[in-house]
Amino acid sequence: MSLPLNEIETFLDFTAYELSISKNSISLETRFREIPSWSSLNALIYISRINEITNVLITSGDLSEIDNLGDIYKLIKERRNGDN
Amino acid sequence: MAITKHCGIKIKGIVNVIPALTEDNLLLPIIDEKERQKLVEHTGIRYRRISKLPVKYLFNKGIKEAMELTGWSNDDIDILICVTQTTELSIPSLACQLHGELDFNQQTICYDINSGCSGYVYGLQTIASLLSTLNSKKPRALLCCGDVSSHLLSPDDTSTQPIFSDAISVTAIEFDSNDNSVTARFNLETIGKGQRAIYTEMNSLNKKIMRLNGIDVFAYSVKYVPQNIISLIQSAEMHNEIPEAYVFHQANKLINDSIVRKLNLNIDKVPNTLNQFGNTASASIPITLCTRLNEINNWVLLSGFGVGFSVASALIKLSDFVPHKTIEI
Repeated sequence: MSLPLNEIETFLDFTAYELSISKNSISLETRFREIPSWSSLNALIYISRINEITNVLITSGDLSEIDNLGDIYKLIKERRNGDN
Repeated sequence: MAITKHCGIKIKGIVNVIPALTEDNLLLPIIDEKERQKLVEHTGIRYRRISKLPVKYLFNKGIKEAMELTGWSNDDIDILICVTQTTELSIPSLACQLHGELDFNQQTICYDINSGCSGYVYGLQTIASLLSTLNSKKPRALLCCGDVSSHLLSPDDTSTQPIFSDAISVTAIEFDSNDNSVTARFNLETIGKGQRAIYTEMNSLNKKIMRLNGIDVFAYSVKYVPQNIISLIQSAEMHNEIPEAYVFHQANKLINDSIVRKLNLNIDKVPNTLNQFGNTASASIPITLCTRLNEINNWVLLSGFGVGFSVASALIKLSDFVPHKTIEI
């Protein structure tokens, strides 16, 4: 699956696919740690796929400071734009 | 950036010692049965080796085999360095313990290097630096690398258990003072702010266990390893088509594939032993290198990265055939 992740819909499609969940069950307000399939392995796969597609690196420190999928989406947008 | 270059350094033999006892990640009870296939697919690791014996025993066996392979005698060894993080005794050094067991010459330089995944390259650079300073025509060294990482794992830790595997490797290295050509180049770097990516702590039973933050190991590896390699290749005034093989530390498939992608490497030049042997810390590079030694007769790139956070790459010229063997015990 290759998506630019620069639109909310494509980001949610991507997230649903990578975390093997229904897109209807998530939104930007979804707390990612509460997604049933969120495990150390799946989180690593998800972060590596974000890097593969966008070249954005997300660390565990970043994740510890944020809470929901919207925060991840914002992080990707900011870093792709060179804000961080 | 710590880039060094060395003349006359030659690898004369490699012996890998791998425990026969094997665990299968598809049968790993701490991982949900439905997740095991996904784990193997994304880490690239199906089998891991487990040693019930201490790392000293594996090194002892490897050294004896390496002496036989090269035809070297105890009196030939000027330097013995052990790269490990899983010694039973922290005092004295493992190199000194092995020196005593194997009855090496009093004139042998012996010490340990506390290093993991980048340790093979660090060990090679240390030995290359030392050998050229010795007052001898053809000084010789043995570099022992590896760990029994399984001894540091918590049985219920789903981050470390599927990844780490036990093995060691012994590399015989010689310096030819008559050879003025550059045969080894290194780029060693440290990113100490990544020290919590892999670390040990005491658990509630006062047992030392290893912890792994997979996301941070990924982030540090992908951020720093490609640039480390590019800097080394540029400093050698090469381009990335020249090395005949790129031998990476076998971390996991997600990390290694990302590095290969960022360097735009031909995957045929990148050997992989993750499936059979898992992540064997500082032994993973020589174990993987041995799968290509029969095909290489010029430059090879080696790159180790991990605990520290430490990144170390080398360009090594292998113009002569390097005898090698991998044994199971």
